[in-house]
Amino acid sequence: MIFNGVAIDDTFAEAFPMKATRLVITAHDATWAHHAAQSATGFATSVIACGCEAGIERELHPRETPDGRPGVSILLFAVSGKELGKQVEKRVGQCILTCPTTAVYAGIAEGDPLPLGRNLRFFGDGWQQSKMIDGVRYWRVPVMDGEFVAAESTAVVKAVGGGNLLLLARDTEAALAAASAAVAAMRRLSNVIMPFPGGVVRSGSKVGSKYAALPASTNGAYCPSLVGLVAHSALDANVRSVLEIVIDGIGQADVAAAMRAGIDACVAIGARGGVLRVGAGNYGGKLGPYHFHLRELMRGA
Amino acid sequence: MRLVLKAQPGLRVDLRGVLPERLLGLAVAEVERVEVGCGNRLVPLAELFALHADAFDVLRFEGDLSRCDRIGWKMNGGRIVVDGPVGHYAGGLMSAGSIDVRGDAGDLAACEMAGGTLAVAGDAGDFAASALPGGMDGMRGGTLVVKGDAGARFGDRMRRGNALVYGDAGDFVASRLVAGTIAIGGACGAHPCTGMRRGSVVFAGAVPQVAPTFVRVGADVGVFWRLLATSLARHGGPFAALASRAIERHVGDAAVAGKGELIVAR
Repeated sequence: MIFNGVAIDDTFAEAFPMKATRLVITAHDATWAHHAAQSATGFATSVIACGCEAGIERELHPRETPDGRPGVSILLFAVSGKELGKQVEKRVGQCILTCPTTAVYAGIAEGDPLPLGRNLRFFGDGWQQSKMIDGVRYWRVPVMDGEFVAAESTAVVKAVGGGNLLLLARDTEAALAAASAAVAAMRRLSNVIMPFPGGVVRSGSKVGSKYAALPASTNGAYCPSLVGLVAHSALDANVRSVLEIVIDGIGQADVAAAMRAGIDACVAIGARGGVLRVGAGNYGGKLGPYHFHLRELMRGA
Repeated sequence: MRLVLKAQPGLRVDLRGVLPERLLGLAVAEVERVEVGCGNRLVPLAELFALHADAFDVLRFEGDLSRCDRIGWKMNGGRIVVDGPVGHYAGGLMSAGSIDVRGDAGDLAACEMAGGTLAVAGDAGDFAASALPGGMDGMRGGTLVVKGDAGARFGDRMRRGNALVYGDAGDFVASRLVAGTIAIGGACGAHPCTGMRRGSVVFAGAVPQVAPTFVRVGADVGVFWRLLATSLARHGGPFAALASRAIERHVGDAAVAGKGELIVAR
């Protein structure tokens, strides 16, 4: 299957069940909302070492936020509800509570409750106050610029983590251009985040290593520097740069839509722009229950 | 089901148990036999009311029910409409559903109410949204809306929910308030918020006389105010433009180490 000179590999991305929540951060202006959101979603590229995967979903117009101020919605994904709870508490406590003028609200209404202001309220040292407004409990914690308002809890929902695309390109320039365009297209969609720096990861991994202590190691099959050296390289000499985009989404359809948008962006650049192939990473299909077959995603294109 | 009062009863009538969840769905003849208190004896409903089975999803009372107490007492769902005034304890201890009173209500309306909505188109007597005599907590959930004026001790010991008065409130409004939200559209009597512990009392009309046991706090609480004002604005009337008004905030009552807030919209 080839579009505009870009070959779509006959393969699939393998994704896993995760637990997710959405937080709505508002602030006096969009700049401070972004500061809080960027800080709260920092060091959250992979659950392997960060505890959660998180990212900014989109900017919110004042009309869309509970308090009528500019806001940002962020999504956080973890392997369990318990781990997500720990991460939310740490990140909200250290990155949102601390940021001037911010307030934080639940971005998902339905699901198991996950404490938001419920534990952070104790920062108020007894001066915190609760307020029920329209069935939602808020905590008001006195801080040095006024008060920090946080919803009592947010909700945890089932989610899908690890959707991915591998962009195989002629050189670094072409790979970066394709990855940037694909991420930009995906960011226009709701319910998904691309947790790596700029949405892109260059250190794709395989399961296992020659070193017993390591659970994962470099994906030799997609390293251009190992073509001809590893036993089963997936590349040929024309491919000199491969970048991956990892996608976490609330639902299977959200991840699929993001992958399709990413592939479309690569196809638009085409072989003339240096994009040679689009592939995806999987573990043989035995580890993750969600399989996103690239050619099925492109059916009807 | 429509219940039309035949004549003003000579004694007070206790309408507890005359509830939509219990009566709607029964045959008229069965409802007519339901006994209610009248003075110190029990009488069948048919002795006091003419029953008509022409409203199926609502229990509608018609007539001057100012001697009929405990309408909607412990109500747990459904809808009651009263075309006229009601007696005391209307909506007392109710936990769900809605009651529309298209007249005045007596004393202790919505006392110890836990959920649902009681709307009074006219005035409410004393101790609305408060605790029952001897009770520790007043209203603990739901919404009370009084479109007219309210008597004294409005929201006494109230601990959750919303209680709104479009007109004036009497003396000691929000006395001993434990928590919850009270909003007054007009003026209030003497000693507002005496002994208040927590909760928010919003004055959208006349500026009240604030006791010296309240502390004026100028800190920015804009986020909270937007959330609360937007919620109150849905009730319209004197509360419609609250979100756009600046506020003056007093915290207390310090006499009882209270952390409640008295919010005056400017």
